Amino acid sequence: MELEKHLIDATLEVFASMIFIDITPEAPSDEPISVLEPNLSSLIGLAGDLKGILAVHCPSAVALGITSAMLGMDVTELGEDAKDAIGEIANMVAGGLKVALAPTGKKIELAIPTTVIGKSIRTSGLSGATRIMIPFSSPIGRFGLELRFILA
Amino acid sequence: MNSFAEINDKLIESTIEIFTGMVMMEISVLGEPLTELGSLKKSITGMVGLAGTRKGVLAVHFPRQVALDVTSNFLGLEVSEVNEDVQDAIGEIANMLGGNLKTILSDRGRDIQLSLPSTISGDEYSFSSQAEVDQVILPFQAPSGVFYVEVELEH
Repeated sequence: MELEKHLIDATLEVFASMIFIDITPEAPSDEPISVLEPNLSSLIGLAGDLKGILAVHCPSAVALGITSAMLGMDVTELGEDAKDAIGEIANMVAGGLKVALAPTGKKIELAIPTTVIGKSIRTSGLSGATRIMIPFSSPIGRFGLELRFILA
Repeated sequence: MNSFAEINDKLIESTIEIFTGMVMMEISVLGEPLTELGSLKKSITGMVGLAGTRKGVLAVHFPRQVALDVTSNFLGLEVSEVNEDVQDAIGEIANMLGGNLKTILSDRGRDIQLSLPSTISGDEYSFSSQAEVDQVILPFQAPSGVFYVEVELEH
């Protein structure tokens, strides 16, 4: 599906331009995000012709590795820095999706990223929404990009 | 926090209205708004994004028992664990609160759209947005516990 490609492209671009960690998209999956054991999830709402929620789910090690790479310093605790870093990735991937959909006439507006830090976090959307989950692998571990949406 | 002084009262009013009218649950405001929530234990959060001329997030944080009671009342069915019904009910509460917040904010001619609602649950988690937001947390007393309505808006 086109949306999956847009999501993968947007994520690869964010990592290539500001994080400099090699990531590889895996096949989109039906697995729940719990298989990734996320300790930090950043979510951002999408409104307009595509209504949804986009989320980046990271286990601790991945969130810390990404944050350290982005800030150019060693970050060892899941706190403000990690929240801002992964939230910014969610924001930029959502922005990339918005730009990719613009030529098709689909307009989307972004809310602000919100981050949840904890243990055994579970997230869900409305039961009627379509879900896309793309796991990415990297030298620091796996993380997941998830989009739940309905088309207006 | 000045921008919130104006909307707090309306938000409290509309929260009580939703609970009295739709959930059939009596609730009341519990003291002054908070500025920080700390970590949430055995809870479920419903959230919805606001986009357009005002960008932000509305979230409602329920301890599990309150979430189960809200779902039972709202859907008219007994639930004893956090399942899909509970997630849908809590997401829908966030959606209704977001709809009211949108009206409160766009009284001033602001064009705002809502995202899809989403829920977050876990044994222990903290919830926060980016740094540059105005934030308010309103505590409410429900029969089986305290829950919070949180709004974060970009400047």
